[in-house]
Amino acid sequence: MDELNLLKKLERVKAPPDFEQKLLAQVSLRKRKKLRVKYFRLSLAGAFSAALVFFIVMNVFILPKKSPVEFADFEKGFSSAFQRGKGLRKRETIPIIEAVDYTGEIRTLSREPQTIYLLEQVFEGTSTEIKY
Amino acid sequence: MDEQELVRQIQEGDEMAFTELVRIYKDRIVNFLCKLTGDYQKAVDLSQETFMRVYFKAHQYKPVAPFSSWIYTIASNLAKTEMKKMRKFSFVSLDDVQNTLPIEAYAKNPSESGMISNLKKALNSLHPRYKIPVILKDIEGFSQEEIAQILKRPLGTIKARINRGRNYLKKELEKTSYKENSFVKKEECQNG
Repeated sequence: MDELNLLKKLERVKAPPDFEQKLLAQVSLRKRKKLRVKYFRLSLAGAFSAALVFFIVMNVFILPKKSPVEFADFEKGFSSAFQRGKGLRKRETIPIIEAVDYTGEIRTLSREPQTIYLLEQVFEGTSTEIKY
Repeated sequence: MDEQELVRQIQEGDEMAFTELVRIYKDRIVNFLCKLTGDYQKAVDLSQETFMRVYFKAHQYKPVAPFSSWIYTIASNLAKTEMKKMRKFSFVSLDDVQNTLPIEAYAKNPSESGMISNLKKALNSLHPRYKIPVILKDIEGFSQEEIAQILKRPLGTIKARINRGRNYLKKELEKTSYKENSFVKKEECQNG
């Protein structure tokens, strides 16, 4: 095939004489740039981790801790305000029913002489509910 | 020194080994990229970038393939990207080739024969898909297996692309020589 022979006959170009010098200059330039980028990344990572440590220290050791009651108060205020706005919750109080076992008391009482105890309500007011 | 040994030294950061490798490959890579892009200055710039990548990505080279395949892969990928950027692709169907070159383009260059000039033009109008395998095979002298390795394509695909590229060049040369002949005959008729 003639065209293949012609392809081989095409003149071969050569690199310019200062090719290597230019290349080495570019290599050193890029090396420096890479180094700068590396330092920048390291400093960025350092700054971020320092900020993280500062945040943790502030939260764990320096900022005052809230007791459970304070926390509950805070939550109540938050949730009631939130739910009033939303109109989802109607009751703001939670009644607590305490189960009391009287059987033990009756057993101990049975040894004592036959006494009738009249239990009557002393306090006239209605039972109060614990508000949260 | 063996090329693999040179690459190993580059991986350790030896600049002398890198300079040696550049000395070995610079002309080949510049020539390859010049034929591919058709622009000498661009070819030099792309060659510089190719060697930079060799230097900075040397740790990625695995000695399972020859170093020449690796460096030609880098060079051809860079050239393809550059050509895409430049939108230099001239999409010519191989089945329906229309020669749009002006007749003055066939005038003989004093430094080279008309045939070679026409071949250069035909090569420049060839789609990179066919151009790269043809250049690697017929100008750089790689085997089809090596080209398949460089371009990361199956061997059958490479064979087909080389064949189509060569057929296209042949058609182009035939057309241009026909046009040249008819142009000369017309001029002779006009001159009497």
